[in-house]
Formats: sequence, structure tokens, C-alpha cells
Amino acid sequence: MVSLGGSALAADPVLQTEQSDVVTLKPYTPHTILVMDSAGTHAKDGRVYVVDADRGALLGMVQAAYNPNVTMVPDASRFYVGETTWAHGNRGARYDLLAEYDARTLKLTSDEELPARALITPKRNSLTLNVGATRAYVYQMSPSNGVEVVDTHAHKVTQSVDLPGCALTYPWGTSGFSSLCADGTLANVSLSEDGKASMTHSAVFFAPDKDAVFENSPSVAKTGEAYFLSYTGNIYPAHLGANATVEAPWSLQVGAGMKPASDASAPFEVTWRPGGIQLIALHQSDHELYVLMHRGTFWTHKEDGTEVWVYDAQTHKRLRRIPLKKTSNMVGVTQDDHPLMFTTDTDGDLFIYDAQTGHLLRTVKKLGTSVTFTIAPGEE
Amino acid sequence: MRVPLFDRVTETFTRHLASHSPRRQFLARFSTLVAGSGAFPLLPVQRAQAESRTVPPVQPNIASDFDRLAQSTDPTKCNYWRHCAIDGVLCGCCGGGVHTCPPGTQPSPVSWIGTCRNPSDGRQYVIAYRDCCGRTTCASTPDCHCNTADREMPIYRPQASNDIIWCFGTTSTAYHCSTAAIVGQA
Repeated sequence: MVSLGGSALAADPVLQTEQSDVVTLKPYTPHTILVMDSAGTHAKDGRVYVVDADRGALLGMVQAAYNPNVTMVPDASRFYVGETTWAHGNRGARYDLLAEYDARTLKLTSDEELPARALITPKRNSLTLNVGATRAYVYQMSPSNGVEVVDTHAHKVTQSVDLPGCALTYPWGTSGFSSLCADGTLANVSLSEDGKASMTHSAVFFAPDKDAVFENSPSVAKTGEAYFLSYTGNIYPAHLGANATVEAPWSLQVGAGMKPASDASAPFEVTWRPGGIQLIALHQSDHELYVLMHRGTFWTHKEDGTEVWVYDAQTHKRLRRIPLKKTSNMVGVTQDDHPLMFTTDTDGDLFIYDAQTGHLLRTVKKLGTSVTFTIAPGEE
Repeated sequence: MRVPLFDRVTETFTRHLASHSPRRQFLARFSTLVAGSGAFPLLPVQRAQAESRTVPPVQPNIASDFDRLAQSTDPTKCNYWRHCAIDGVLCGCCGGGVHTCPPGTQPSPVSWIGTCRNPSDGRQYVIAYRDCCGRTTCASTPDCHCNTADREMPIYRPQASNDIIWCFGTTSTAYHCSTAAIVGQA
């Protein structure tokens, strides 16, 4: 019997031999994002993924060990990972590191040892960049609250700034940052070329015991604008600088046609409230705020959002209401004219929405373990 | 359902008292009030006999929904009363206990503290949320991963923040799991 299949196979050309090679990524589009996975159940194995959100495709990754953080320069040419490792895995000498990666080759271009970095649930504002990305600000807590100022060209710490009673950095301009303080003020630190730092404090603008403001509030280094969100849902617009000022707050609930939510003095009122981890995102040019909301009492500020409410930060009105397929502790948004919105769930999925219509476009199933936040080009 | 006038007046009074009095003084005054109110339907059990309710009334010393729903029998659940502001994996699910570290790990000498209400005696206790350190994160069932936040603050109030790895001063600063030890009555 004649084998037709055998004849067809014989007619196929012989496959060519191949050389192993390595991808260099194309320049990032506005929808090429970094995704931080802090890998909560195996926290020494955190990662940063590069994702093409238009296709829902994983493009590459770098490791980011133990309560890590990541920040990207605005032109998306490189990014920095703050991480902590031990010489023998879980023991031995501790290394606090600031790794610099080329964003297209994902090659390590600097691997700097830091004096310290804070080991905290990952928060974007524990690692930030100044305008121009010539300085990185690393928040640390040992032996006391402070900031390591890193020269990103020389790859060395040039200053250590004490921050008594204050935490994290919200950068402004090329040589300054503000921090949130336990007494309800902002500390405003100006760095000089001679290695000295000076500090001012804003007026008291919030009462932490009654209505604390979230650490994950968004700010923009090049303009100094910031929007500090409180537990109840008040937004405090701020103008960061050496003498930062804070405007009177406006209420998310009032902007949605509801009465303001109660604070800690009346904790049992069930209403729509903000909650989550990275629970708010800013589209800078549209001046739109994306906030994770849920129904609950006061002290539910870490509860996942069931919906995202989108606000015009200038009119203080709610523009859109986006119900989520799965509850999320994280929301992110790209910075272009056709923005995408991102949320996650407890399975490590990444949900990708059209931010303007609220339609779920695609899902990256089990991208990671604990998707903590996203960073889009131009966001920082 | 409409709340009876007496309950509303009592709640207003106790809230006012609680917010204007030291806690021990408040308890002393409230005890006097309870002792002298036998003729009134004040206790929850009496209320339950009188009428069924869909929403439990607010009891004294309760400051949050967690307090209202907390239990005192199973320390391996997130709603165990001492876990009113815990963030992490319960060591009781990892070979340890509510104030005991699993073998081979090391308790952190410092911690942040919470104030939780024991539903069995109605008292508030100061709880030290000490981490057990030196192993990577305990991978127990999701039921043992808790993130409650009564009176929890951002890290600019570190003494009240559960987002900090408290493994300061231990041989390794790697976080394994969390305990909730009583350190005194509030």
C-alpha cells in the first residue's frame, strides 16, 4: 500500500537549524505596563512583569525579592527595583538593593547596595524618582524614619534625610519631596547641592485618629499636584513644594449625589467607602481619579473594591461607575488618550478594561500571585 | 426596623460617656447603670426574648463591625476577637499558636499594638501583634490569611500600622506568620 502521508512529509522542506537568541523589546507604547507581583504567599520570590496590555501578553519579567517596589522613568527607558535578599536565602547577611534595569533588554545595569530600605507591604511611595530621574528616594525605617537619596547616574547614596514622625515620599521638582506625618501635616524637604536638607511643615490638614489619609494617594512630580484620599472618602487637593499648601477637601460621596460618609466617631454607618491597597489612580491630563469603592462601615479601609468610581478632579463630580467582575485591592490606569484600566483579584489575574467605557476587554489569567500595582509610561 | 426610644437614648448616653470618659471610668459608670436597670430590657438576651431583630443592637465597648461579629472560641479564624487588627498569616495555622511561634522561628521583640474587645467578658485588651521571623511566608489555607483593620493606621503612625514587617532585632528579618498576644487590659 502506498503511504500518501509519507509522500507529503517527504515533500516538506527540511527545517533549518537555529541559533539561540534573546528578545529586545520594542519601545514601550502607552499600553506597555509594569506589573508588581509581591508574591504574598512566597514573598521572597516577588516579580515585576512587563505586559502588553493591548494583547494581554507577558513580554518579560525581572525578579523583585521580598516586599519589593518598582518605579519607572517617564520615557520608559529604564526602571528601578527596590528589593531585599539574604546571603543564604532566608538567613545570613541582609542586602537592601536598588537594581536598575534597561526596560527593553531587561538587563541589569546597576545593582547598588543601600544602607537600608523599609520592609513594608509594598507601597509605591516607598521608592520614587525626582523630575529628570537623576535622584531616587528610598524610604527606610531602620534605625529610624528616613530617606536615602540615590544619585541614579553615580549609583550611590548622596544624602540620608531624617524624617521624624513622617513617612514615604511624594516628589516634586528636581530636588524636593513631601512626606505624610503623624500629626496630620506634610513635611516638605528641599535638597541642596551641598548635601544638606531643609524641612518645612504644612498646616495640619487632617486628623489621623478620626479620618486618616491613605499612603497610596497619587501625586505628580513635574507639577506638584497631589490628591490625598482619606478613609471616609474626602479628597484633599495639594500643591507640593517647599511650602506645600493643601486645599479644603471635597467628598467622593457628595460628588456622587450622596451625603458624606461618617468618620471614626460614628463607625457603624454602612455606606460606599474607598478601600483596598493601591486603591486610587490618577489620569494626569484628564484630571480623572479612579477610586476602588465598596459598601461598608468605617475601619473597612482595606476591604477590596466592588466598583471603580471615576471622578473629575476639577469639578469633583462622579463621571462613571464601573462594576468589577471580581473584587480588587488594586486599580491602575494608563496615561494616554484612550486609557486602559487595570484591576486584579485574589487569584493573581489581571483584568484589562477600556477606562472610558468600563468594558472588560481581556483578562490575563494567573499572571502572578499577588498583583499589587501597575505602572504605565508617563505615570511617574 | 425602628429602634425603641429607650435603646436610642441609652446608646446616645453610653456613646457620649465613652467619648468623654477614661475607659475604666466609663466601665465603672456603665456597670452601675446596668446594675440599676433590672426592670429595663437592656441585655441582649432579654431583647431577643422580647422581639426578634435582624440587626443586633450596639453593645457597650463595641467600636466596630469586627467587635460586633467577633468570636472567642477558634483562634485559627480571622474573626477571633484578638485579631481585630491583624495583617498576615495566623501562626496557629502554621504549627504555632495564638501567642506561640512555629518551631525554628523567632518572635519579634517589638510589635505594633491593637485594642480588641473580648466578647466573653466585654473587656478591651491591648494586643501585641508580634511576628514570627526567619522563614519565608507560611503558606497555609487562605482562611488563615487575615487583614482586619480596626483602628489601623498608615505607616506614618507606625505604632498602629499592620503593614510593617515587625521582624526588627531578630536574627533574620524574613516574615513567617503573625501572633496576637495579650499584654494587658486596656
